Amino acid sequence: MALLELKVVRKIYKQGQIEVPALRGIDLQVEEGEFTTVFGPSGSGKTTMLNMIGCLDKPSSGTIIFNGRELNELDKKELAMVRRYNIGFIFQSYNLIPVLTAYENVEFALRLINKYNNREIKERVLNILAAVGLEGMENRRPHELSGGQKQRVAIARALVKEPVLVLADEPTANLDSSTSEEVLKVMLKMNKELGTTFIFSTHDPLVMEYARRMLEIRDGLIAGDKRREANAFSD
Amino acid sequence: MLFLTKLAFKNLVRHRNRTIFTSIIIAMAIVIYIFFDSLIGGMTELSYETIIDYESGHLQVMAEGYWEEEDELPLDNLITVDEGLLAEVKNLSGYKASLAELSFSALLSNGIDDLPVIGKGIIPEDFLAVFNLDKQFVEGDIFRQGEYKAVLGKRLAELMDLGIGDYITLLVKDRNNSFNTIDVEIAGLLHTGNPNVNQNIVYLPLELARQALDVEGQASKIIIRLEDKGQAARVAEELELDLKNKNSRLAVYSWEDLEAFSFLGAAEMEKKVILTIILVIAAIAIINTVILAALERMEEIGMMKALGLQNREIVYTFVLESTGIGIIGGIIGIILGLATVWFLSVYGLDFEALYGIDMASFGLPVLGKIYAVWNPIAFIEVFAFGVLVSLLASILPAYWAADKDPVESIYHH
Repeated sequence: MALLELKVVRKIYKQGQIEVPALRGIDLQVEEGEFTTVFGPSGSGKTTMLNMIGCLDKPSSGTIIFNGRELNELDKKELAMVRRYNIGFIFQSYNLIPVLTAYENVEFALRLINKYNNREIKERVLNILAAVGLEGMENRRPHELSGGQKQRVAIARALVKEPVLVLADEPTANLDSSTSEEVLKVMLKMNKELGTTFIFSTHDPLVMEYARRMLEIRDGLIAGDKRREANAFSD
Repeated sequence: MLFLTKLAFKNLVRHRNRTIFTSIIIAMAIVIYIFFDSLIGGMTELSYETIIDYESGHLQVMAEGYWEEEDELPLDNLITVDEGLLAEVKNLSGYKASLAELSFSALLSNGIDDLPVIGKGIIPEDFLAVFNLDKQFVEGDIFRQGEYKAVLGKRLAELMDLGIGDYITLLVKDRNNSFNTIDVEIAGLLHTGNPNVNQNIVYLPLELARQALDVEGQASKIIIRLEDKGQAARVAEELELDLKNKNSRLAVYSWEDLEAFSFLGAAEMEKKVILTIILVIAAIAIINTVILAALERMEEIGMMKALGLQNREIVYTFVLESTGIGIIGGIIGIILGLATVWFLSVYGLDFEALYGIDMASFGLPVLGKIYAVWNPIAFIEVFAFGVLVSLLASILPAYWAADKDPVESIYHH
């Protein structure tokens, strides 16, 4: 069974009296462990689709099945629990909490799931920070980190709870190419080692080089779906 | 929850200036309350003394039913002051002095103008033993027994353009409703902290008043002074029981029962008004702070939702942060309040010297400096109140923030 299934998903935004369709009937299946990019022009519906998959928004019609559960049937609280335990988010603008250190920002995600004791939390947070190359920077606050370092904290925060799915919205948009590559390698490594499913929305050709599946979205519909065995990492 | 608590307190230092500013607003509101509470306490304490010392004494013995119609100063419900009653009174535990007082309505005339006043027939020696009025004579002195003289408040004398040695006429109705007049010379002028004494009362010899009113051997009440005002309630109860056992139709009231303290009701009302002002000030400051914080942290709130936080958990962080501000404001307010009350309890506040206001002329039974009174309960109450208002005021704006659409918050649309 697919980890994620979208069946004729539509999303229509209302701007006053005018209805603006963002998704026009998306059908999609994503298997566990996929490393997928979603690309397309601005306004094509990439971010809207990611928001639907991430339980942040509800479709106007159609069905989304995630991990065997139909999301349409869940209330706000249940959707929050799905996000808390199963989904990691990486945003273009990092969205770190400025008063917390790098360590605490990552720790936050683990504290919410209430699954580990203090020792395990410390061990996991330090390991993931080391894995994203932030060893020794645990006590720095976001304003003491570069853009790439902040994004790595955001990645660590998304990955530390070992979610089944990570959704990344333009994760490299604010990064230079060498930092982007570093960050992508970290995510690909997690994908290989933990089997985490990644879905990226991106314009960045570099991200597409790393992907094993590329979904093209145009005008709210899937216009292309390419798969390949090898990627930049395996090369 | 522990992590969210930690986050809420870390957020307090995030915008240090805003936290301090909001806390100071709350602190100021608290200090204002403590300031007024301590001064009202001081005024209350002082007014107890001035009313006891100049008007009520510690206990009053009067005929049953007289109390209810005292404002009309009736002459048909007086008590007979006999040796038996006086002996009973003098045997009271803690007894210091007593005074038979005959109160009546009169029209004071200076030959040109008339003014309604309260006349009081007294025995001068007893009067000075019961009331601390001997130092309140600004001109002249008390009359002697048998003299056709009177004492009145300086303010009343000024109103009627009278002075020492002037003659006044009191027009009265006796027990039989026949008009009568009392002509007396002014022997002394008083100025006390009690406005009633200053502007409404004319004291004259008891026997003279009895003759004019045709109430031989009678008085409106017996006013008793005890060694300690704290004994009054207990002694009043004992005396009333004792008199009842002897089939006497007399009632006994302690100073605490007297209507003269009605101004305390106004003071309580004033405190409530100040508490309401604190409520409004603190609530506005907190609501403003929470809304500003929420607007600034919109993306962060969206991210928290993406992490799986529920609305109530986000509300919790905001409410806790506001409560923290309330606690900081409360602590600053209490410290400043302690300093204020200490200063005012040592140096006092002289309204007359500061603003040229004679408090007695406003009807407040206060003369001279007012010293603040320590009231630890008020400190605790206002601190708790400030914190509670901070907490409650933040709930609605916090819900407003937490209920934002996560997508709109994240992308800050």
